[in-house]
Amino acid sequence: MADVRLAATQSRYALLTALRTPRTVVFGMAFPVVLLVMFNSIFTGGAADSVTFAGGTITASAYFTASLSAYAIGLSTFTSLAIGLTAQRETGQLKRLRGTPMPAWTFVAGQVMRSAMLALIVVLAMLATGVIFFGVDVAPERLVGFAVYFALGAVAFSALGIAMTALTPTVDSASAAGPFIVVMLAFVSGVFISVDQLPDWLEAVGKAFPLYHLAEGLQTCLVSGTGGTGLAAGNVASLVVWGLAGVVIATRRFRWEPQAARS
Amino acid sequence: MGPTEGFDSSDSHLLTVESGITMDTPAISVRGLRKSYGATEVLHGIDFDVHPGEVFGLLGPNGAGKTTTIEILEGYRERTAGAVSVFGADPGRPTRAWREQIGLVLQECEFDPLLTVVETLSLFSAFYRSPRPVDECVDLVGLGDRRNDRVGTLSGGQRRRLDVAVGLIGDPRLLFLDEPTTGFDPSARRGAWNMIEGLRTLGTTIFLTTHYMDEAQHLADRLAILRDGEVVALGAPDELVAGGMAETLVSFRLARPGEVDVMRPAVHGRLESSNGTVRLRTDDPQRTLYELTSWAEREHVELDGLEATRPTLESVFLELTGGNGG
Repeated sequence: MADVRLAATQSRYALLTALRTPRTVVFGMAFPVVLLVMFNSIFTGGAADSVTFAGGTITASAYFTASLSAYAIGLSTFTSLAIGLTAQRETGQLKRLRGTPMPAWTFVAGQVMRSAMLALIVVLAMLATGVIFFGVDVAPERLVGFAVYFALGAVAFSALGIAMTALTPTVDSASAAGPFIVVMLAFVSGVFISVDQLPDWLEAVGKAFPLYHLAEGLQTCLVSGTGGTGLAAGNVASLVVWGLAGVVIATRRFRWEPQAARS
Repeated sequence: MGPTEGFDSSDSHLLTVESGITMDTPAISVRGLRKSYGATEVLHGIDFDVHPGEVFGLLGPNGAGKTTTIEILEGYRERTAGAVSVFGADPGRPTRAWREQIGLVLQECEFDPLLTVVETLSLFSAFYRSPRPVDECVDLVGLGDRRNDRVGTLSGGQRRRLDVAVGLIGDPRLLFLDEPTTGFDPSARRGAWNMIEGLRTLGTTIFLTTHYMDEAQHLADRLAILRDGEVVALGAPDELVAGGMAETLVSFRLARPGEVDVMRPAVHGRLESSNGTVRLRTDDPQRTLYELTSWAEREHVELDGLEATRPTLESVFLELTGGNGG
């Protein structure tokens, strides 16, 4: 129990650091909300005001609110952890932490909690923006499904972000790969462009990766008036499998000591 | 006694008894420690003990194996062979309870630049069951006026002091200091020394690496000199100087440089001269000075600026490490 509190303490300080990092606040938090406002002001309206996808048919505003929430979760967890942990490793901060009695899992749990909290702040801002300014309808019975997808997505993308640090020997490589992967996937996952406008082969590429399924899941939960939780086995399975893959790689390949400049 | 003798355990026990500390289990015990990186062996079987409450210095030129040794003791590196125990436990398998007793100041270390001094210490204090109060640590290292400033805004010396404060936050029984004053200006080093001496009076055992001779001589109760992965001397600094083979240096100037050749057969010691400045290295300073002054009286020669310099730890060190201090 004391160790759960220790994990929470670490998440609090990690959140403090994140909120003091301009890159995280601007790129990870403000940027998705700005994108949402721009998308809903530019692309929606007129004839193409609704999107039909696997989860049903919703307004373009609701579709992009869910899409960009998925994007924001990817940035706050995967990208932010890949860069942040690589930086902490390469500057020797992780090595120093390893020399304390702090159990390793409390550190990792703290990092995941901090990422989930960052993502939660942005997603709540997204939903509020969608509901207040763009007439997005959130059905209460589907909020549970939305929360489940959020939690699965936050944990899976956090695990993948931690696993990613095994492939990034320097902060430079993490800063390049972290955002690039999420942005590239966003194009083929129905985040920036709705899936009904994607060529089949690109959609097939997108479906192989978890961002597609997180977006589709959140989008489905914003389809109102159809009842049910909006949870679909395919989407849940993709997030679980990718999340577990992340956990396996992270536990085997995570390093506490600097990799780039080994003495 | 030669400098390579005197590091067997019986001798160490003698010292312990003399300094009035109970003959507890040693805080650190190292026997036959070897470490290889790939095919290269960097530690060739070293032995030493560190007793509770003492400041033990590990001295050596760069590349001698100091950091490898301290990182094995800190639980960061696996050893290749030998027996190592720190507080009776194997640091190769660090446990949480063991880590509770150990404080670390690594050679290169950074903390989150976006947290303040107090926030950093509060975070680390959460890792320990009975931490030293944050304010006490801030005061011990003299960072009181920067307590609410972010780590990223501290100067190099202030960051090093924060390293020490974080090393002390768990109220450790044993503190590892890996080159704590490298890069310090002289007054900052003096300040760090005072701080380390203060810790000793609090009863903390301190294991220190340094390549500064004066630092080792000033701080360490006992020290080991490491050269190319081997302990070449072990003992109290004064013992090493007294027992070492380093020679006393007698120097003076002669008005007529030609007299050097007349003097040479009359005096004991190795003689070298340039432009009338004469240096005599001798293992028997009393005899050399007697013969030198007798000769000067007899020949009515004035020995201008006559000076005899006892060997220092530095001269012992240079002799033992082959004159390669860098």
